Amino acid sequence: MIEFKNVTKRYEGGFEALRNVNMQLDDGEMAFLTGHSGAGKSTLLKIIALIEKPTRGQALLNRINLKTISKNKVPYIRRNIGIIFQDHQLLFDRTVFDNVALPLTIQGYRYQEIAKRTRAALDKVGLLGKEKAMPITLSGGEQQRIGIARAVVHKPMLLLADEPTGNLDPALSREIMQIFVDFHQVGVSVLVASHDLSLINDLQKPVLTLNGGQMTHNDLQPIVGYQS
Amino acid sequence: MVMATSTTRRDRPEAANRLLAYFIHHLQSLIFSLGKIYTAPTTTIMTVAVIGITLSLPSGFYVFLKNIEAMSGDLSSSTQISLYLDLNINETVALKLSKKLAHQANVQETKFISRDSALLSFRQSSGFGKSIDTLSSNPLPHTIIVIPKRSSDRFVIKNLLNSLQSLAEVKLAKLDTEWLERLFTILEIAKRAVGIITLLFAFAVLLIIGNTIRLDIQNRYQEIIVTKLIGATNAFIRRPFLYGGLWYGLLGGIISWLIVELGYLAISGPLERLNLLYQSELDLVTFSLQDFIILLTSSALLGLFGSWIAVAKHLNQIEPK
Repeated sequence: MIEFKNVTKRYEGGFEALRNVNMQLDDGEMAFLTGHSGAGKSTLLKIIALIEKPTRGQALLNRINLKTISKNKVPYIRRNIGIIFQDHQLLFDRTVFDNVALPLTIQGYRYQEIAKRTRAALDKVGLLGKEKAMPITLSGGEQQRIGIARAVVHKPMLLLADEPTGNLDPALSREIMQIFVDFHQVGVSVLVASHDLSLINDLQKPVLTLNGGQMTHNDLQPIVGYQS
Repeated sequence: MVMATSTTRRDRPEAANRLLAYFIHHLQSLIFSLGKIYTAPTTTIMTVAVIGITLSLPSGFYVFLKNIEAMSGDLSSSTQISLYLDLNINETVALKLSKKLAHQANVQETKFISRDSALLSFRQSSGFGKSIDTLSSNPLPHTIIVIPKRSSDRFVIKNLLNSLQSLAEVKLAKLDTEWLERLFTILEIAKRAVGIITLLFAFAVLLIIGNTIRLDIQNRYQEIIVTKLIGATNAFIRRPFLYGGLWYGLLGGIISWLIVELGYLAISGPLERLNLLYQSELDLVTFSLQDFIILLTSSALLGLFGSWIAVAKHLNQIEPK
């Protein structure tokens, strides 16, 4: 699913956010990405989501080179990914239903199909009754679950989450993480960036640790021949 | 709680359905952008009013010019040629000539004015009565007024004038069209001025709409970022803005039409009187249906083009960070 080979990301001004990172996440695998803030977690996710391009090395998503992909193909690659943000990134001028339906609208589904899938996604995160509500009227945990419903409504192959529990209390965090585990169990690849170490330890999934831009711990299968 | 089909992708929309959905989305964007306009009435009304006022100037000039042109066309058809005959031609010969000329091609009718009646009316109307009395003889010649056929254009009239001038009995044939020529020239200048004004104001409308759409894009920055991250193409994001510009242009066009119609109502009274003073039986005109359609189409296209410029310039700069 994801392959990083000696990936280095240097921002303008010389700051190296990632240094020779190697990793491989297989189809249907789930892993946590940990590290202090500024360790490069977000940069790694941004490279996968085609928000940033690697400076050196090779980053592959489904064997597609993310560095050389042309700009007009980017939207179609992103449709294979569901992204969950720490701050939800919901659109507050429309209902919960319209928020969740957005990826399907973009991909040109018909209304009946959109309605069916959107309700299914809302059901999965336990918010079926709230489809007509405006996001602003919901709690932080509920907003995050809407964000998750939006990320999975188009059945992506890969879920990326950047500190999805950052603003939630421990009980809510556990609930949210359990949703990710559920998706993993039906075959979706999941990569969650989080620094909630106690929660991560409980869930017993492979962990990747970044420290100052370098991968210092990797539970996933290493890529042979590319170790730095 | 979890659906077993989460990872399968077999039920993506088919090509035919996608095409249908594509058109449905166009329709949705069209209505959605109208809805946006409806939910922000103050901004919309102000923008649309500015566009309407801007467009009303060239279109108002156009209607004005259209009326003046129709009026001057009517005037040119009332052209007449005055034939001043030789002083030694007597009244019988002159009358015969007048009758003969009336049967000529291109001539509608002729009027004979004898030198005596000419002197009489001159004495009455000029106020020089006393000085005329001091003259020993009548200095005025017999005059024949030749009125060309209504359908004659300027060429035919010029030819007629030349042939009349060459008659032996005619001392001077005078076509009083100099002022008409001047009017036509002034009209030509006015027409070009309206052309320039139209261009300038069309450009102004482009700028107004471009700026409005630019602000719109800035206000929806977050939405654009999110939809891009979800996999929206640039075309998808562009669509509602383009249709927004189309609506602004169209509504502005309707406002400008209303302004011109109201302005026409306001000045139609004196215009009617002016018309009467020129003894013209002309109906005053505003926009024809064709003008109306052209006005709305071009204002809508201006809106579309203006938003296109803004979108092309600003939308591509917005990328998730």
